[in-house]
Amino acid sequence: MKKASIIFGLSFLFAACRPNVTVTIPASSGNTDFSVYMSFGSSYAGGFSDNSLEVSGQVNSYPNLLFQQFQLVPGDAGGSKSYFVQPLLNSNNGYPYAKLVLGSFFNPCTMDSIMIPVNYPSFVMDPTDAIRYTWQNSNYNNGQINNMAVPGMRVADLPVAGYVLANPYAARFFLKNAPTNTPLDEIGYRVRNTHPSFVTVDIGLQDILGFALSGGVGDGTGYASPITGTTNVYQDSAITPYAVFQTQYDALVLQAINTPSPKGGGALFSIPDITAMPYFNVFPSNGLVITRQTLADSLNKYWKSYTPKVTINKDFQVGNNQYIVMDHNNNIRQSVPGELILMDAPFFDTSCATMSSFGAHVPIPNKYVLTTEELQEIRSATAIFNNYIYNESLKYHLAYVDVNKYLNNVGYSSVGTTGVVFNGITYNSNFISGGFYSLDGVHLTQRGYAQITNLTIQQVDSFYHATLPLINVNNYNGVLYY
Amino acid sequence: MKKLFLSASLFLGSLAAFGAGYQLNMQGLRQLAMGGTGSAWVWDASTIFYNPGGLACLKNIQIYCNVIDIIPRTGYSNGVENQMSVKKTFTPINFYLGGPIRQGSPWAVGIGVYEPFGNGLQWNGDWVGRYIDQSTTLKVYFVQPTLSYRVGSVLSVGAGMVYALGSLDMNRALPVQDQNGNDGQAVLHGTGNGVGFNAGVHFKMSDGLQIGLTYRSQVSFDVNGGSAQFNVPFALRNYFPNTNFGTTIPLPQVATLGFAVRPGERLTFQFDLNYTGWNSLDTLRVNFGQQTTYLRNIAAPRKYKNVFTPRLGVNVKLSRAFSVMGGIAYDPTPVPDNYLSPDLPDANRVTLSCGFAFKPMPRLTILAAYEGMTTVKRTGIYEYAQFYGTYQSTASVPGIGVYYNF
Repeated sequence: MKKASIIFGLSFLFAACRPNVTVTIPASSGNTDFSVYMSFGSSYAGGFSDNSLEVSGQVNSYPNLLFQQFQLVPGDAGGSKSYFVQPLLNSNNGYPYAKLVLGSFFNPCTMDSIMIPVNYPSFVMDPTDAIRYTWQNSNYNNGQINNMAVPGMRVADLPVAGYVLANPYAARFFLKNAPTNTPLDEIGYRVRNTHPSFVTVDIGLQDILGFALSGGVGDGTGYASPITGTTNVYQDSAITPYAVFQTQYDALVLQAINTPSPKGGGALFSIPDITAMPYFNVFPSNGLVITRQTLADSLNKYWKSYTPKVTINKDFQVGNNQYIVMDHNNNIRQSVPGELILMDAPFFDTSCATMSSFGAHVPIPNKYVLTTEELQEIRSATAIFNNYIYNESLKYHLAYVDVNKYLNNVGYSSVGTTGVVFNGITYNSNFISGGFYSLDGVHLTQRGYAQITNLTIQQVDSFYHATLPLINVNNYNGVLYY
Repeated sequence: MKKLFLSASLFLGSLAAFGAGYQLNMQGLRQLAMGGTGSAWVWDASTIFYNPGGLACLKNIQIYCNVIDIIPRTGYSNGVENQMSVKKTFTPINFYLGGPIRQGSPWAVGIGVYEPFGNGLQWNGDWVGRYIDQSTTLKVYFVQPTLSYRVGSVLSVGAGMVYALGSLDMNRALPVQDQNGNDGQAVLHGTGNGVGFNAGVHFKMSDGLQIGLTYRSQVSFDVNGGSAQFNVPFALRNYFPNTNFGTTIPLPQVATLGFAVRPGERLTFQFDLNYTGWNSLDTLRVNFGQQTTYLRNIAAPRKYKNVFTPRLGVNVKLSRAFSVMGGIAYDPTPVPDNYLSPDLPDANRVTLSCGFAFKPMPRLTILAAYEGMTTVKRTGIYEYAQFYGTYQSTASVPGIGVYYNF
């Protein structure tokens, strides 16, 4: 009887016992100090997405998400630590031009409707977006700006006086907008106002991107000359000269860590390989689909009798064929595998008659093509810049966040990558469906930036022996369908 | 140029299909109260499940019915988000009818209808694991006509063919968001069936010692032509057509060796050892009637391992009319460390149980039992979906039943 009642008792004890698995991993800063965080960078750090800037992109920018995790570390909750000031816009319309949204394109030739990115149809620039940003909290109205990211800004732009005139994002919040001041001056001023204990530097993408977006028509040698009449202003379509990049990048890092705290630290971000982005991979260079042998015959005949001589490596045949392109020396030739076509190539702008011949009878102009030589220049510059950034991280004892490596892991399903899986979702680089890149094919979705946040947390945790928890990537927006 | 911008597929790692540990060991109430033991001692007609060989040992035709409530709860934490599964109650009903074909005959026949497999777990719809599982419910009934023969005073044998029928429901969020950021939704519902058998031998060595040896075969529970419905943004409707789906859930084979010892008139001890062939669950596949670039068939690796489960029970006869029972079982998990998934986050389980039997008149017995189950806290990852967390499950299982001897 006694035994039985003991068992009865135990069983009811079980019933009362609801599962209790609350796990808390105390957040700690390890060997560094997250109390005042500042971010320096360009489009990625600014939360630029869908070819524009919106307030929701800024609120979910990876520096702001990082700050939210830094706040989990117990410590001084007062003062500037409580704020991560970003020069926020007011609207989600897009600034200064329309964001991209998914729309439908009816192709009159195939009578087929497809999904493509289109400019936000009801775009009106919110007039309040254009007003210069002022930090409203009078207690901290000391010029504190924590996210100094300026979409579009290059390392090459850092020493350019009067840069605000050229960049509407800089114009919104740079205080020192006199024509004699440079972005580096502005950054120095803000650093001395805010005294960051932790910094991230994520810049350099635009130093190569302009060249790639021009289809490689600019100077990609790494030894470009300044624009005539200036001493240090370089064409957007040129790759920033290697020497300029190195000098200015080093100057930026020195400004960023100008007011060190005893345990101060930071992280430097590598530059992603632009050629792996959807913008350059949506149209494969062998995308010329021929359905009839007669068309293949006519193309072969046309180009083989063309003067001057056109190089055709492989005769046209039914199926997929390499497009005919104009290369950077204005020679017409057949493209070779590996060469890239830009997403803004006007495949959809022409009538049915010319659509069938664009890239076939009509060469794709060089400004829409990255040829083998141009790709080599992009990849060389990326490697040289990243090697320099890595050495800077060693020199200043900062963490190195290899965004380039991560984006390559995300990869394309067509080349057999498994992508990056997070909480049941597989992300890859496939345009639209991959969920990682935004509709502009270069910048990321909020879920993509959330993954950059986690990558940074992992690197910072490991470098500084900190314990910051990861964020749930899937809490943010990916591609939004209509 | 057709569908240019959707040339590649979205890999739905999300529909990870069904999980493990979905075996129920609660087919008879006295056995439930005794830690799930029951292959060696023939108490009542539920021996049709526990050991068909024991049916020929019944003295009379018996009709037996019980109703059980299963109230499972699972807690989850990843250090940031803490979740408790939604409270749901499942109510399996078990029914048996059988006994000697006439008084004193060595032949016995019977039929059992019982629920040996089932699971239900529902999470909050917007939780962190919503793309892997929002809710999954499996209910499988076995119908088992049984024939048993008493070979002599010691040995009796029995076997029954098993026909399985039941249903499977799965709800998952789909990672395709509308303009407001709301997820898409997949709702899968299907019914299925399968066949197998249940066989056993029973040895009555003496009045004080009985031995049971049973084998329940694997049953492949096939779901064909289930409905797969998708609620997705307008632009994607063609890519997520409402279609049908099929899957096969292996219901594993179980071999059991049991001993029952009665040292005195009032006291009976039982010990069972189950060997469950969970390794039949290697990969779970869901095949859709219509595949698109977005909607692909799913093959989710599970890699379960076979397990041994020891069970111990005691029955104390307090008077002619009243007995009490108690028991304990330890059920190790078949789920390997890298396959711990939120649709059934299994872990090593400890079960404590108790119950009583009351005989208000000679032919009628009323049974009540209660089982409390808890798993250990388990931290792991479902690598396939890169989903990490710490889980603990408990279940509260009350039941009542009655049997009548003709």
